[in-house]
Amino acid sequence: MFVFPSDEWARAYKEAINQSPTYKTAGKDWTFGPVALVTKADPAIGIREDVGLWLDLHQGVCRDARLCARAEAEQAPFCITGEYARWKQVMRKQLDPIQGMMQKKLELKGQMTIIVRFVAASKALVEATQSVPTKFLDE
Amino acid sequence: MKPDLQFNFYQPTRVIYGCGSVRDLSLEAKRLGVERAVVVTDQILREKTDLVGRVERALGARCAGVYDGVIPDTAVEVIDRGAAFARARGCDGLVSLGGGSSIDTAKGMAIVLTEGGSIRDHQGSQALGRRQMTHLAIPTTAGTGSEVSQYAVVKDHEAHEKMHYADDHIVPDLALLDPELTVGMPPLLTAATGLDALTHAIEAYTAINRNPMADALALAAIRLIARHLEAATTDGKNLAARGGMLIAANLAGMAFNASGVGLVHAMAHVVGARYGVHHGTANAICLPHVMRFNNDELSARYRDVALALGVDVRGLEAEAAGLQAADRVAQLNAHVGLPQRLREVGVPAEELLACAEQSLSDGAIVYNGKFAADQELVLGVYRAAY
Repeated sequence: MFVFPSDEWARAYKEAINQSPTYKTAGKDWTFGPVALVTKADPAIGIREDVGLWLDLHQGVCRDARLCARAEAEQAPFCITGEYARWKQVMRKQLDPIQGMMQKKLELKGQMTIIVRFVAASKALVEATQSVPTKFLDE
Repeated sequence: MKPDLQFNFYQPTRVIYGCGSVRDLSLEAKRLGVERAVVVTDQILREKTDLVGRVERALGARCAGVYDGVIPDTAVEVIDRGAAFARARGCDGLVSLGGGSSIDTAKGMAIVLTEGGSIRDHQGSQALGRRQMTHLAIPTTAGTGSEVSQYAVVKDHEAHEKMHYADDHIVPDLALLDPELTVGMPPLLTAATGLDALTHAIEAYTAINRNPMADALALAAIRLIARHLEAATTDGKNLAARGGMLIAANLAGMAFNASGVGLVHAMAHVVGARYGVHHGTANAICLPHVMRFNNDELSARYRDVALALGVDVRGLEAEAAGLQAADRVAQLNAHVGLPQRLREVGVPAEELLACAEQSLSDGAIVYNGKFAADQELVLGVYRAAY
């Protein structure tokens, strides 16, 4: 089991993405740079400050996945921010990430017009989390 | 009610309506803590009408200047220049006066004045994270609903694209609806902006994020438009019709603010960005064709639209009733003198494929009530509208 978020979880997630034929196809046209997923601070469960997950995605491949500080995450062309509980809903497939952005449950810094062209890729990225044995901090 | 229904509804704007209500502008600015307001408008309103003077007089000592650099389809440079103008005058609030472009310019200026940098640096959705500069919006057209929405559209003239901003923190603090300020609007602009409002209402009523709150607003807007649009177009001095349309546009704005718009907007944004087609006109042309495209999945909704438009659909199956709604919209376009086809507004036939491709990048397409994010599907609708 890998704790979410952690560097170990990020490494396992990178492997899961790269083993997904669905993502390889759906993300093959992605040339728009890294995507950072920021979890907002939640001291009650041990997240003392905002923490980013840096995903270097390019043409259907995840070249790098690691934790980063919020300041670095905001340098990514696409930075999506949410509460811990929201990311948990995403990973449990209770919240579609693009719907989440449209319903104001996740915040996007970057061009929505590019993101909406990759609905299938975003679903594949969510699907890939299912292959990562995950321990949530609030459970 | 669907058991899996989920929505959120947030509408923070105080709406003030009434003939002559512009007189209360200074009191409203005071209530909001604004001491030095910059008026954001365009040169035509400033030079050809007395509206800007009326607003300046209403603001009195609270008026810190007038920025009249707004152009149709506002742009990055317009917003950045406006923010510099306002900053130089020690501005602590913005009063937008005009159509959607003026209101969107003020939203963009509020972002730049609060966050710094250029408006180009702040594209996103719900990413601002804090209250932006106070904004009092005074629409002089009845269409965009921007005075109550979280959205701003900014044109990138170099890339021939429209950039989209969505954030609760840019919803104006005040919408001042004064029918007297719209009496000078020419008939074609009245018609086109009215059809823009109708498109907002119909797309909000059928969008994937539709919900009972937005539904009520959308249907009320459609009824008002059915009652007042033709009168407002043919007799611009009819204050009851002008007022009805201002309220309708406002209600439709609140509706799409909560549920989004759809394929009509995705198509219209593209022909607006590429060929300069007026947004309301582009919506008006595309709307009946998108309704026919959507009708197999959304006919029950369009049946409600038909009823709200005053079409007698008693005894008809939903699908036939839905088509009647689309036909009624096309008739309304014709009655108010708007173009019926994309070919009439300078869209080249050989560019339809490129338009379809570009529309897939428009955020509105994913809100469409029926799946439409496919180039061939969109091309089919463009061809029908051509």
